[in-house]
Amino acid sequence: MGLTRSAFAVNSDWIQFVLSRFIWFIIGPVFVFFAMSAEGFLTGTNMINLLLHASVLGLMVIGQAICLISGNFDLSAEGTVSLLAMLAAWMMVPEQAWSGGGGWEVHPLIVIPVILLLGAGIGLFNGFMITQLGMNNFIVTLAMQLVLRGLALMLNKGNYISGTPDLFNWLGEGRISQTHAFIVIGVLAAIGLHLYYRNSRFGQRVFARGPVGIALAYIGGGVFAFGVVWALLGWIGDIPVQIIFTGLAFVGFHYYLTNAKFGRQLYAVGGNQEAARASGFSPKRTITTAYVISGVLAAIAAWMLLGRIGEATDKTGVNLTLETVAASVIGGVALSGGYGSILGALSGVMLLSIVDNGLNLMQVNPFWVNGIRGTIILAAIFIEAQKFRFKPRTTQSRDPA
Amino acid sequence: MSTQIKQQDSAILRVHQVSKAFPGVQALTDVDFAVRQGEIHGLVGKNGAGKSTLVRVIMGIYAPDSGMLEIGGREHHALTSQDALRAGIAYVPQHIAMMAPLTVAENILAGDMPKGPLGLISWSKVYSEAEERLARLGLELDVRQRVEGLSVAEQTMLAIAKALFGQARLIILDEPTASLPRADIDRLFGFIRTLQNAGSSFVYISHHLEEVFEICDRVTIMRDGRVVGTFDVADIDMPALTHHIVGADISEYERTSALTEEPVLKVESLTRRGHFEDITFSIRKGEIVGLSGLQGCGADTLVKSLYGLERWGLGEVYVDGKYYVARSPRHALDQGLAYLPQDRTRWGMVGVRPVRENVTYTILDQLTQTILNLVDRRSESAQVGEYIDKLEIVTPGQEQMTRLLSGGNQQKVVFAKLAATRPSVLLLHEPTMGVDVRAKQDIYRIIDELSRQGVAILIVSSEVRELIGVCDRILVMYEGRIIQEYKQGQPETTPENILLTIEGGQRGTH
Amino acid sequence: MRRGILRTIVFALLDNLIWVLVLIALITFSLLSDRFAEPRNLVGIIPRVAAVGMLVMGQSFTMLTGHFDLSSESNIGLTAMVGGLLMAEEIFGGLGTMYPPGVAMFLMLLVGAGVGVLNGLMVTRLKMNNLVVTIAMLITLRGLIYIISPGSSASIFPEAFNWLGNGTLFTFTYQGDTINFPVSIAFVLLCFAAAHIVTRYTQFGRNMYAVGSNREAAEAAGIRSDNVVLWVYIISGLCAAIGGILIAGRMDSVTPRTGAGWIFQVQAAAIIGGVSLMGGRGSMIGALGGVLLWGILDTGLSIMRADPFTIEVFRGGLLLFAMLLDAIKVRYLNRVAVRESLAKTTIGLQDKTSYA
Repeated sequence: MGLTRSAFAVNSDWIQFVLSRFIWFIIGPVFVFFAMSAEGFLTGTNMINLLLHASVLGLMVIGQAICLISGNFDLSAEGTVSLLAMLAAWMMVPEQAWSGGGGWEVHPLIVIPVILLLGAGIGLFNGFMITQLGMNNFIVTLAMQLVLRGLALMLNKGNYISGTPDLFNWLGEGRISQTHAFIVIGVLAAIGLHLYYRNSRFGQRVFARGPVGIALAYIGGGVFAFGVVWALLGWIGDIPVQIIFTGLAFVGFHYYLTNAKFGRQLYAVGGNQEAARASGFSPKRTITTAYVISGVLAAIAAWMLLGRIGEATDKTGVNLTLETVAASVIGGVALSGGYGSILGALSGVMLLSIVDNGLNLMQVNPFWVNGIRGTIILAAIFIEAQKFRFKPRTTQSRDPA
Repeated sequence: MSTQIKQQDSAILRVHQVSKAFPGVQALTDVDFAVRQGEIHGLVGKNGAGKSTLVRVIMGIYAPDSGMLEIGGREHHALTSQDALRAGIAYVPQHIAMMAPLTVAENILAGDMPKGPLGLISWSKVYSEAEERLARLGLELDVRQRVEGLSVAEQTMLAIAKALFGQARLIILDEPTASLPRADIDRLFGFIRTLQNAGSSFVYISHHLEEVFEICDRVTIMRDGRVVGTFDVADIDMPALTHHIVGADISEYERTSALTEEPVLKVESLTRRGHFEDITFSIRKGEIVGLSGLQGCGADTLVKSLYGLERWGLGEVYVDGKYYVARSPRHALDQGLAYLPQDRTRWGMVGVRPVRENVTYTILDQLTQTILNLVDRRSESAQVGEYIDKLEIVTPGQEQMTRLLSGGNQQKVVFAKLAATRPSVLLLHEPTMGVDVRAKQDIYRIIDELSRQGVAILIVSSEVRELIGVCDRILVMYEGRIIQEYKQGQPETTPENILLTIEGGQRGTH
Repeated sequence: MRRGILRTIVFALLDNLIWVLVLIALITFSLLSDRFAEPRNLVGIIPRVAAVGMLVMGQSFTMLTGHFDLSSESNIGLTAMVGGLLMAEEIFGGLGTMYPPGVAMFLMLLVGAGVGVLNGLMVTRLKMNNLVVTIAMLITLRGLIYIISPGSSASIFPEAFNWLGNGTLFTFTYQGDTINFPVSIAFVLLCFAAAHIVTRYTQFGRNMYAVGSNREAAEAAGIRSDNVVLWVYIISGLCAAIGGILIAGRMDSVTPRTGAGWIFQVQAAAIIGGVSLMGGRGSMIGALGGVLLWGILDTGLSIMRADPFTIEVFRGGLLLFAMLLDAIKVRYLNRVAVRESLAKTTIGLQDKTSYA
């Protein structure tokens, strides 16, 4: 009670900085550890594998993080992936003895929009039940998980379907040649740089220096970015499309959430639904949109996964759902809503994927991985609990009444 | 009224020269307060007078900076909550903590329920024991009913009963009759009197002065952290009481009004079943109108329904001459109304988000461009910076989490958010509640500035002096109707009169 | 008056919704398939879901205090695997230690309780969020199962061990058929009865409800809420261990995947049985009803040759339906409360709008 306000603020500021960036401080050493201990960890092929694994999970994590920020769980995303993957395969693959589909042989270009629409529809349904009917988000999405998974398995009586057309598999299997990737990433980096300069404080300072400053900033930044991309591509080789896609998704959504109106609404609704409403937002609409986004992302994840594996089977993916929550929490998204970032969630995905990949390479008993994963999550929550302990609580109401 | 029986001067509680300060505010100064054995002692004063702080010191939640407490003859300098409970003091708050899904009997006996021969709980014994205990107090409740099914009055009585079962000898009641119908109040008072006759003592905190006269033996008035006086209820009358509560008539703030003729807000015969009836008034450009009344008089619901957070049933509203309908806050904002909520933590700001975001929630449409609705960050920080300067918001930066600001600055952030929409009508609900003195002045200044710009302002507040200082007119509501209007500068517009009208529903005659 | 009677009936139905659903399910399936009502199939209802039932019981304990234990599915797998490894011969996947059933069961209970202690400590002493903690434990324990199991399964356990999960209590004849009455029915019923006694007739049980309904009020009444919560997690762990005994006994084998994916059903069954997410509401009897309903669905649908997946869909749909009913009930209650409070005032009588 004797601390002056400013002293307290400074102290906790520093600690805040470390804690909120904490996860990146962890990934660094972990990465280095595996680079040194795991044979073949640092190769381009391995990096690609790692990123492939992270891509599908990553999309689902984005959806989950968005729902969590709005203050709700989406436990049904995994079911959506199952169902839509199975459905897509069923629609496209001709009837065969063991691994056949429904024989409709619908063209992939029709199937893709259909599953995207269905994903959105599922999200809409979730949103409707939660916002209009006032049902508890945890149970509703849990029930939907059961229903969707069941439907998925019902579709082909539990058999698997394989042999999806190449066109469809592009997202999952396709790779972009180095030159193409170079151009794409280069252009995107340029745009990103431009936007960053326009909107950040650093950028504003630069602009204040006049035309010379601006020129330097753009040229310098441009050279730097191109250099990084060049090195990266040289190291990795052909990049699978899905990695680029998920990467773009993360950056895009993060930027969108931080800078667009919807992002503000999302954080406001998650942080304090009533105050958001009194400020003119519509919590119902915002939450439903969050679920729709989650549904569409799950649909894309299904597309990606099906394309990569080439067959749809029954999934045990309970862990997958819970992992998306875990990755979000590791990345700093608060379960109570209104706090956290998409890039933070990315860190959660990366950490889990790196650990997975690294332990695998070290030929650790493949199932130790789960144990370690769980421990990491536990540690992350423990730290998160401390984070919110340290933050000065709402100022004691100095209400002298 | 006053029971002459127990004339012992033995005080069950004595507070002696207690002072308590918080950062920036002196909450209590040299408070002397004593409750006699077997009396019902009223404690009155405006919001901010120090009543809650005094209670918290008595309950051991705060330690006094100086002075001491004497409970049942024993002195205490540093009281803990356990000590207070053990000494027999219980506090019944306004919002009672009950185990709602459980039965009355279980709430009474929680933690130690009667067991049968096998060591298992015998529910028949539970119910009969609970009934017996209640009967001892003369309270009749269905012990098998769930607490959530009880009325508010019954829950209050149950809370009192619970306190007594915990061997409490002194019970502090905090606003027990807020929004209770008359019949329930009678029942509650009857219960309290029965308990008094059996030897319990009470501290009765309330804004309902009539009730204080009805039930209390003595009354202590607090103002600005000090005790103004303690009187036998028989020796004081209502005007004198209100005079003590309100204090000398020094308005802290001088208002020079700038009015024009056109009404910006016209409210006609607004009615909502159960809340307000036949509300008609209008506010002109640049005019500041105050609205005051007891809790439950309908003013809260009225102002919320103007903003779209509640509804009204009959009647019409016109803003700037146009027919006005508010189905949602967004709707209201679009038509030129803005609302500062009473409970800013719950309705006003999103505490976990930075100041910058909180200020711009209402004007995002103006700040966005392109199809993607991207916010122009530069223009946003510029605007927010402007408001921080103009309103003198004390914050380490725009990115500071809003809940970390002091109460006054949080309020200013909410003000900024509303002002940014350039409203025609501003509805303020207790604008200086929980705000320190210096920030209060700032807020009055902001309100004045806004009215100069032509905004029509409606302030709902229970701080009568504040209203007199700031408003051109003051409307008093009582049981859903507007019963009186006081104009700035007229002789009868005194705090005492207004308070009397608020309390008793009649025009003051001072 | 009539409105009052109707309302009382509706409320009674809604409060005991689960039994209404059980009844409807029984009737529906009996009508849909005459084989359903055969004693042979009826006695099979509970044994199918006995292990799940124990998890539901454990989960109900924690939910009544307002907490979750999502790790129980991995806990059951862990205890089952531990028991399996200790009892089975090496050729059948065990460790070859050939512990007697009694010892194995004791160790299983120990492991289950141990997990419960861990969960409980993290939630009460370290103040970690119970949802995420138990999720993390779910993942970690599942990994642990894989680590300790050398092969793909451990099988063939002593008869004495299998007795609980698969044994016969007595036989009886019905229309010429000899039918075995499984032990597990009696056992599960016994367990739920015991749980009901604990929650309804012991101080500890009532403390659970108190903590779940309003933690502060419970503390004010002198209840040490942290201890209560710690104990319910331990109980949940023990229930998982008992479930492990049941499932291992019934299948006569355990795999590393035992229990995987069960968590959703367990939650759903508890919720549909009336145990509220908020805490402080619900009963073990209701939870038993939830388990029964699950068993009926399972049995009925598989008799009708529905695949396991249709069953999943039905279960999910049922949960949604139950929630919808609950939402309607809440809305109805609100409307009644509003109407009652309006009846007490005289303000604004001209306004006839309904503010439901």
